[in-house]
Amino acid sequence: MGSPVFVGIQRILVAFDASPHAEHALDVALAMAGDMKAKLFVIAVIRPPEPAESAEFHAVLEDGQERFEKCFIPLRERARQKDVELETDIVLGHPAEQIIHKADVIQASLIVMGKRSHTILHRWMLGSNSERVLRYAHCPVMIVH
Amino acid sequence: MMNTWALSALWVGLALAATLLAIWFKVSTALSEIVVGTVAQLVIGVFLAKEGLAGNTQWITFLAGTGAIVLTFLAGAELDPAIFKTKWREATVIGLAGFFGPFLGCTAIAHYVLHWAIMPSWLCGVALSTTSVAVVYAVMLELGFNVTEYGKAILAACFINDLGTVIALGLIFSPFTIKTVIFVVVSVVVFVVLPFLTPRFFKKYGGRVSELEAKYLLFFLFAMGGLALWAGSEPVLPAYMIGMVLAGTVGKDHSLIRRLRTLTFGLLTPFYFIRAGSFVSVSALWAAPVTLLVLFGAKSLFKAVAVYPAVRVHKYDGKAGAYYTLMMSTGLTFGTISALFGLNHQIITPAQYSYIVGAVIASAVIPTLIANSFFLPHHLLPHHRAGKKAEKEVMRPVPAEEG
Repeated sequence: MGSPVFVGIQRILVAFDASPHAEHALDVALAMAGDMKAKLFVIAVIRPPEPAESAEFHAVLEDGQERFEKCFIPLRERARQKDVELETDIVLGHPAEQIIHKADVIQASLIVMGKRSHTILHRWMLGSNSERVLRYAHCPVMIVH
Repeated sequence: MMNTWALSALWVGLALAATLLAIWFKVSTALSEIVVGTVAQLVIGVFLAKEGLAGNTQWITFLAGTGAIVLTFLAGAELDPAIFKTKWREATVIGLAGFFGPFLGCTAIAHYVLHWAIMPSWLCGVALSTTSVAVVYAVMLELGFNVTEYGKAILAACFINDLGTVIALGLIFSPFTIKTVIFVVVSVVVFVVLPFLTPRFFKKYGGRVSELEAKYLLFFLFAMGGLALWAGSEPVLPAYMIGMVLAGTVGKDHSLIRRLRTLTFGLLTPFYFIRAGSFVSVSALWAAPVTLLVLFGAKSLFKAVAVYPAVRVHKYDGKAGAYYTLMMSTGLTFGTISALFGLNHQIITPAQYSYIVGAVIASAVIPTLIANSFFLPHHLLPHHRAGKKAEKEVMRPVPAEEG
């Protein structure tokens, strides 16, 4: 952690989807933010079903908001214990796009993401969010395995 | 012929499979259920039982019809009356353009290009005139435009567009008789009384385990649906109107809406969408795929011709305007409801139904695929974001202290 590579990291953005991989990425990012006195931003993206249909879309939106809000409660407590400044955000849209947009808005020094083990078919059909973020992000991206 | 419980298990099993596919491929459950219904009917019809999924069994027809009615009610209940009150003029202009453009255009194409008879052509026009409020709302939330004045007007316009569709469906194909007059008069009375009666009734008797609210709403939906059918109209017309007039009261009761959603998605809509899919004839689509392409092209073209100028009038830049126009060209639920109405009332043939539903599905899927494939990479680029942020700044309403 004391490597010169990490000098100047003031804003860390973590992409969170409530999966075990994202939880692990969050642990790593929280430790890094504590060590480097960086501010931690956590973004959770609700992906609407495509094509969105009225009643289902609103149900997905409300369900996602509730689920992520619940996840953020213990996270806020952990951040407070480690004396890390934390900001959480729940947005709607394509995950890769919203992660990069958030990184732009907050001028993130680093994006931390978990690696999900998708099948080849899944990657071909839907693409990998971490690959898209790696390709288009303006700042370093850390993929936590 | 399978017994009732075996048939139920088959349908619910298909609904389960469709939901899993929707989760894996991140598509809407409705779309997944239609496709599963089509494939299951084909496979079961060819290899297992001649009647396939037996979609015309009375209890399946009842559950599917209830699904369409409650789904339409929920769609109407999502209207934000406050938005509509302030933006009704723009919403009416854009919404009517979005309805009449594809309605008249697709009717003309079906009649003059595909040489369909006049009534099937009108039905085709109605089915392809729809838009999806949810798709437009999702895009606006994603880009942050839902809070802008323009965004609110577009959302309200989508409701007007779909209202045009259900009114056309409810009135064009029904014979104008004394029954129609009775239906219209009773409807007006009910639509005026319900917003006053409902909140008071719920306040006095609601909030109990007996789910009085759901029974009350279902009573009015079924009663008005029955009256509509008696008058030769379509039950989704009063359901959508009841949803709209109760949007400011029942629509804001999240707990009630969630309970209704559980009933709708858990039991009713799988029957509706799987049944809608089961009537699609793959052999008809295979025999004349050009017909499907013509209808899909007509819907996209006439939506663009009608909506894009309205978007330009609001000084919206070309690319974003095209994006919205593309999104407003979708519409799955009302499209399939209209097509199924036509099939049930023998206005269209099973082959015509297949082409219309195929075009409806294509119009729901292809614009989204195009948007994600060709627009998304541009959205991801930082310079595009910068442009979009500037655009947002321009569109942001000016607070009083700044103005």
